[in-house]
Amino acid sequence: MLPLLIGLVFAAVMQLVVKPNIGDYPAKLVLDIGIAISLAVSLTMVNGFTGQFSMGHAGFLAVGGYAAGIVTYYGSQRIWGDRATHGGILSGRPLAIDPATLPLVGHGDWLFLAALVVGGLVAALLGFLVGLPSLRLKGDYLAIVTLGFGEIVRVMIQQTNATLKPQDIAWEEVYPALPRPAGVEAVASYAFDVIDPATKLGRTVYQAVSDTPAWDVLTHVGGSLGFTGIPKYTSLFWVYIVASITIFAAFRLKQSTFGRAFLSIREDEVAAEAMGVNTTRYKVWAFVISAFFAGVAGGLFAHTLGVGLSAETAGFLKSFDIIIMVVLGGLGSISGAVIAAVVVTVLPEALRDIPQYRLIIYALALILIMIFRPKGLLGTHEIWDRAVWKRVRRRGGSEPGKAKGGSSP
Amino acid sequence: MTSSGRRSDVLRVQSISKSFGGLKAVQDFSLTLCEGDLKGLIGPNGAGKTTVFNLLTGVYKPDSGAISLSDAEVAGLRPNQICRQGMARTFQNIRLFGELPVLDNVRLGTHVRAHQTLLGAAMRSPFSVGEERAMTARARDLLAFFGLEGRAEEQARNLPYGDQRKLEIARALATSPKVLLLDEPAAGMNSGEKVALRDLIRRVQTTFGVTILLIEHDMGLVMDICQRITVIDYGVTIAEGPPEAIQNDPKVIEAYLGAPDEPSVEQGVARA
Amino acid sequence: MDTFLQTLKDALAIGSLYALIALGYTMVYGILKFINFAHSDVVVLGAWGSLVLSRWLEARTGSTWTTDTPAPAYIGLLVLLAAMVFCGLVGFTIERLAYKPLRKAPRLNVLITAIGVSLFLQNTGQLESLFGNRPRSIPALLPDQTLVSIGRVNVTTLDVVGLGTAVALMVLLEWLVFHTKMGRAMRAVSHNTTTASLMGVPVNRVISFTFVLGSMLAAAGGFLWSLKYQQIGQTADTSWTLLGLKAFVAAVVGGIGNVRGAMVGGLAIGSLEMFGCAYYKSSMADVYVFGVLIVVLLFRPGGILGKATIEKV
Ligand SMILES: Nc1ncnc2c1ncn2[C@@H]1O[C@H](COP(=O)(O)OP(=O)(O)OP(=O)(O)O)[C@@H](O)[C@H]1O
Ligand SMILES: [Mg+2]
Repeated sequence: MLPLLIGLVFAAVMQLVVKPNIGDYPAKLVLDIGIAISLAVSLTMVNGFTGQFSMGHAGFLAVGGYAAGIVTYYGSQRIWGDRATHGGILSGRPLAIDPATLPLVGHGDWLFLAALVVGGLVAALLGFLVGLPSLRLKGDYLAIVTLGFGEIVRVMIQQTNATLKPQDIAWEEVYPALPRPAGVEAVASYAFDVIDPATKLGRTVYQAVSDTPAWDVLTHVGGSLGFTGIPKYTSLFWVYIVASITIFAAFRLKQSTFGRAFLSIREDEVAAEAMGVNTTRYKVWAFVISAFFAGVAGGLFAHTLGVGLSAETAGFLKSFDIIIMVVLGGLGSISGAVIAAVVVTVLPEALRDIPQYRLIIYALALILIMIFRPKGLLGTHEIWDRAVWKRVRRRGGSEPGKAKGGSSP
Repeated sequence: MTSSGRRSDVLRVQSISKSFGGLKAVQDFSLTLCEGDLKGLIGPNGAGKTTVFNLLTGVYKPDSGAISLSDAEVAGLRPNQICRQGMARTFQNIRLFGELPVLDNVRLGTHVRAHQTLLGAAMRSPFSVGEERAMTARARDLLAFFGLEGRAEEQARNLPYGDQRKLEIARALATSPKVLLLDEPAAGMNSGEKVALRDLIRRVQTTFGVTILLIEHDMGLVMDICQRITVIDYGVTIAEGPPEAIQNDPKVIEAYLGAPDEPSVEQGVARA
Repeated sequence: MDTFLQTLKDALAIGSLYALIALGYTMVYGILKFINFAHSDVVVLGAWGSLVLSRWLEARTGSTWTTDTPAPAYIGLLVLLAAMVFCGLVGFTIERLAYKPLRKAPRLNVLITAIGVSLFLQNTGQLESLFGNRPRSIPALLPDQTLVSIGRVNVTTLDVVGLGTAVALMVLLEWLVFHTKMGRAMRAVSHNTTTASLMGVPVNRVISFTFVLGSMLAAAGGFLWSLKYQQIGQTADTSWTLLGLKAFVAAVVGGIGNVRGAMVGGLAIGSLEMFGCAYYKSSMADVYVFGVLIVVLLFRPGGILGKATIEKV
């Protein structure tokens, strides 16, 4: 448990010491890095450990984000009657509030934590469903199916309705047919826009909060307009807590007998199965665990200041971004994924004047790495493994031609 | 052990068949292994030997027939279930986990006997730590048995060919099998290595008390260590019996002479 | 009834485009066993190549080509052929530089490389010095006359030429694959690369040829696409990737590696999409396509015209 404690302290230091001293813009970058780390490391569990090539990771990110967003957006309204954050010092908060008046962890933070867990669980459930095809499909086919899954999520999100906004509405607007009871002026209601199928025109509909069934909110997450108005709880503290837990879980997994089982599937599925590894079960497990962490990261993403959660979050461009991190770092290397997540997040800053070259550079990096270092920069190894440095030294010493590694016959 | 009066059958195979499209790769193959047997399975190239292994271990499902391992029916089970029931194999075209260290290849073999849970492993519960330690110790013992302890940390794909074949056997033994299927363990070895392998197989059998079914093209080796031999050709069993009988069986001689690029039984014996 | 006919027409038009593009995927998959993710970008290059060339020709001849005063017919043919040659060269180069070094590498690596190539083409194409990052429209190369009307559905020159070109190219390909020496070599390599090379088939040349052929068909697809829609999205527009993915799905649904399967699959996917849109919800088009992909892969992994195989151990 020591590593987790270190993670906790690290996250607190990030929030309480680092953030106030680096300014808002760099702080946002550091926050993005933390989320990217969680995403890259979680994808490593599927693509790196079991060698199943998932290209729909952003689908889990989006689903987790939407699920968590529903919990805080509608939960807040039910509990506090508003959509403001109710967090403490360790969470994201409006600049206007004086930190001295805040507790360390606020009521809202507990709701937020619950939302993250819900986001993770919903994504994990979906991970189970997406993992099922992996039992029958390999390589490219699985890749294309997972990619298709991400696209389906994207389109499905677009089909949802506008978010429900709470307002006090005059009785007559909400219940035009009912006589107004004495003393009642307004009703706490949701207002939302619908397209009238007959006239094809938009109009606003009012519906009393008390008349709105709980499940109704599931279909009101903004559609193609995006899910706006989610309270912004995400802070460096929460981001690095999640990143620490993700990294911790990935390491514990990799170093356990289950991790070896995962890796054996990647190395040779037939042999793994013959040696008693229930490849079916572990492949699905890999998807479930990986999706869980991606879903939690999605929850963080959804609650980040300046982020508009939209259907595009689930699109393949986002998935490609995460894949690039995993491949650059080394398929199966956790530290590699972390390093690559940092690089891939920071690089756009370095290229701020020539943003159009960002993806060109990634693309070339992908191609060259596949030709010259087929297993990514670190392969399955971690940055501190002796094998990595031995190879670097050997390569640095002589024979640059050997760089082709396993790719040449 | 081999001559004791009452020995139970560990593996009973009753007329299993398999065809691929129009090709009848294995037809009505039957075989019984008693505890402690070391039986040979030979036949010319493409005779269907590896297919028999694939059927036994569940890689392919037999079209018909029954396979019982320690009196439990295993035909139709998935390979991992059959392995759990106590049958392990090596592969003709080596299938190690190449990127993983040698030690992990063997430790993976012990996984099927592990009892820890995913959560326990993540939390490093005392039970899981203890079990992990035991698995590592067992893997190291196995590596020492095969003289590979010095290479435990190397990547499996970097081992010399002969060591890779030994590692395959070690990995299979790590699953604690009752029946061990060896698919051409001597392939690609020189004669010195083959002699060493012969002793090794014998030692494996006495040390681990496993029952062995051996596919091998080297007749010298097969005739030397197997008590009984089954010969198949074009998927059909053409002979079964002790080595001496097999060597003189006209059908066997014909099968091998019919495939001129194959060392004949006679030549094989002469070489040994 | 009109809706049905109109939808059928749309389905044929889009389905034949999918089929043209799917052929490239299926031929490469048949031989090298990987999804050439960059194939859709060759389609894009075909479209943009057609645009740039026809704009240039328009400026050179000092004319403006609109639907009322379209370019003479030979211009369209010229642009099509030039786009095909250009994309053929691009395909050849991609294969040589990016894929050939990976001939013995795991398939996953090739897939990742293909993603890399795709991202490279998409984003290089958007550079200001190339095509820029805004959609542009292509001059009219064909008159938009109504040839026949069935009910209220008009069949225009564009429809006929589009479908006609696609069908002609597919017939040509069919002949090439099944009735020429090169076609036989392609099928041999697709069946078993090692055996084919032992039999003296020049495998590398066959692979190059396949890429060139597939890329030329992609160019034709891009050309026809630009005729049909006129407005051409920037090279990194996600709709291109989706177009490519749908064509790939068509290849899988028809039976990957199977030339006729690609044609059948293209029409099937085109119909599914168009009828789904017309009779249910048009915003869900992608869901139908990927939904069908998942169902087909799970229950008939070989596709409509393919057959399942057992992995040899
Ligand atoms: N998955 C498969 N699909 C199609 N045919 C197969 C498959 N597996 C094996 N075969 C065929 O079955 C026949 C028997 O093959 P098998 O590998 O069992 O022979 P073998 O006796 O092991 O030969 P060798 O001594 O060369 O290893 C061969 O003709 C082979 O081509
Ligand atoms: Mg064999």
